[in-house]
Amino acid sequence: MRKVAIVGAGMTKFVRRALETPKELAYEATKTALDSCDLRLEDIDCVAHGSAPDAFDGIHQKGEYLADGCGGWNKPTMRVYVGGGTGVHAIIHGWHHIASGMFDTCLVVCEEKMSSAMPHAQGFFLTIFDAITERSLHPNLLWIFALEMNRYMQRYGYTKEDMALVAVNNKRNGLKNPASQFKDEVTVEDVLNSEIMAYPVSRLDVSPVSDGAAAIVLAAEPVARRLTDKPIWIEGVGWTLDTAYWGTRDLYYPRYLDKAARMAYEMAGIREPAKQINIAEPYDPFGYKALHHMEGLQLSPRGKTVELLRDGHFALDGNLPMCPSGGLLGVGNPIAAAGTMKVCELFWQLRGEAGERQVPGNPRLGVAQAWGDLMQVSSVVVVGN
Amino acid sequence: MAILERITRNIDNRFWDPGSEAFPVKNRYTAGMAGQRFFKEIKENGKIFGSKCQSCKITYVPARIYCERCFERLEEWVDVGTEGTIYSFTVVYKTKSGKPKESPSIIVAVKIADGLLIHRLNGCSVEDIQIGMPVKAEFKPKAERRGGIEDIKYFKPL
Repeated sequence: MRKVAIVGAGMTKFVRRALETPKELAYEATKTALDSCDLRLEDIDCVAHGSAPDAFDGIHQKGEYLADGCGGWNKPTMRVYVGGGTGVHAIIHGWHHIASGMFDTCLVVCEEKMSSAMPHAQGFFLTIFDAITERSLHPNLLWIFALEMNRYMQRYGYTKEDMALVAVNNKRNGLKNPASQFKDEVTVEDVLNSEIMAYPVSRLDVSPVSDGAAAIVLAAEPVARRLTDKPIWIEGVGWTLDTAYWGTRDLYYPRYLDKAARMAYEMAGIREPAKQINIAEPYDPFGYKALHHMEGLQLSPRGKTVELLRDGHFALDGNLPMCPSGGLLGVGNPIAAAGTMKVCELFWQLRGEAGERQVPGNPRLGVAQAWGDLMQVSSVVVVGN
Repeated sequence: MAILERITRNIDNRFWDPGSEAFPVKNRYTAGMAGQRFFKEIKENGKIFGSKCQSCKITYVPARIYCERCFERLEEWVDVGTEGTIYSFTVVYKTKSGKPKESPSIIVAVKIADGLLIHRLNGCSVEDIQIGMPVKAEFKPKAERRGGIEDIKYFKPL
């Protein structure tokens, strides 16, 4: 397999409701990524683009619709869709294109425009639940998270206050990100006082509904070295699916991530991830999920993650900064674009280009992860400079 | 056979109702950066605009913000007039549910600059339509325009 590098990145600001069409959002991110490495569309061999359910943008065959906004006109173009995991999975998909030797350059573009759903994108999820045993109860996604969060808290004796620390940490980081859709700092009290949606999930434990797009440019080793002095290498990739049956899945430990993370670390030659990884971008659509995923990523011992968070271990200037971008909680959550945004962030961080939110100490290795499908898929990418 | 064939007549088909609540969400769209301006020109000035890519020599109609071929941002907006030619057409005889329409409707793809607008054709009998025929957009009165494709009532032969 050939070595693959990220040579450029770009994203739109994440907003609650964009005037741009989905194609136009994708174009803005793609154009910025191309410009960042001085490439033209004619230099691109293929496109791996991603977007979560068609229903969000309200366009069936959304992949085909989006293709030209992602630079896919007259190029080999394939859409990736694994729900919330799409943003990181699309990068693995692009990595395959180049590692295999088929192509030398690949654009990876993810887009989501959730504001078109009225009154709320939640409504589209009704049909992911079992038609016979669950749907008549009118479930929504919050139920799943509430059940998981409650089980996780019970397992380790955590409180809602413990869980609120994540939103506070990530939203604080997000304030330094120009792409963030938020302006205000949030305290633990704010989170605890925000309305309970489905116990124990309160409104500020949840990432927002957003529109946005993010893109990266991948290149094979010889091309990457010609293009830039600072290629960021994709050192490991991993992905797995756990069972879709709730009953045979751990709700307090993300087994769907355990194997994916180990797969990526093995490929990257990482034996002690908690010591070797310098920056983590775990998927954080909810506060507790970031903790869940830090454990699944083997970056924190099970049941000790809140302690480490309280000790500043995961702060921007801590030993292992968590979500320096601000994450989904601090920047916004246009589903597929949010996962790609995490890899954009690692690209900028490992090149020392993250500005005000730069992690000190010349970080060398970063890991990004996203989670989705029927809450049981996980995709992991390890990058290094 | 892996599938048990339990129903042999379509009419016997029944579904298990998962609940009385209707599907609770709809989509609402934005016209976009290009669309906003494109429809504003139709609504306020009765004009159709394209956007031109200098390097690819293509004038997109409706106007777009980027060229899909070279990815340059398109800054040059061109008034392409309100006339075009029929690039292709179809005559629709049945409704979506398969019933005969009271009178057939003619749907045309009108070539304007390098783009196509799909719309109705009026003022022309089914026997007289021809590909390549010149046509013109007929706008609604200004007061009735709402900034959408229906601000053009139909195309008609020149």
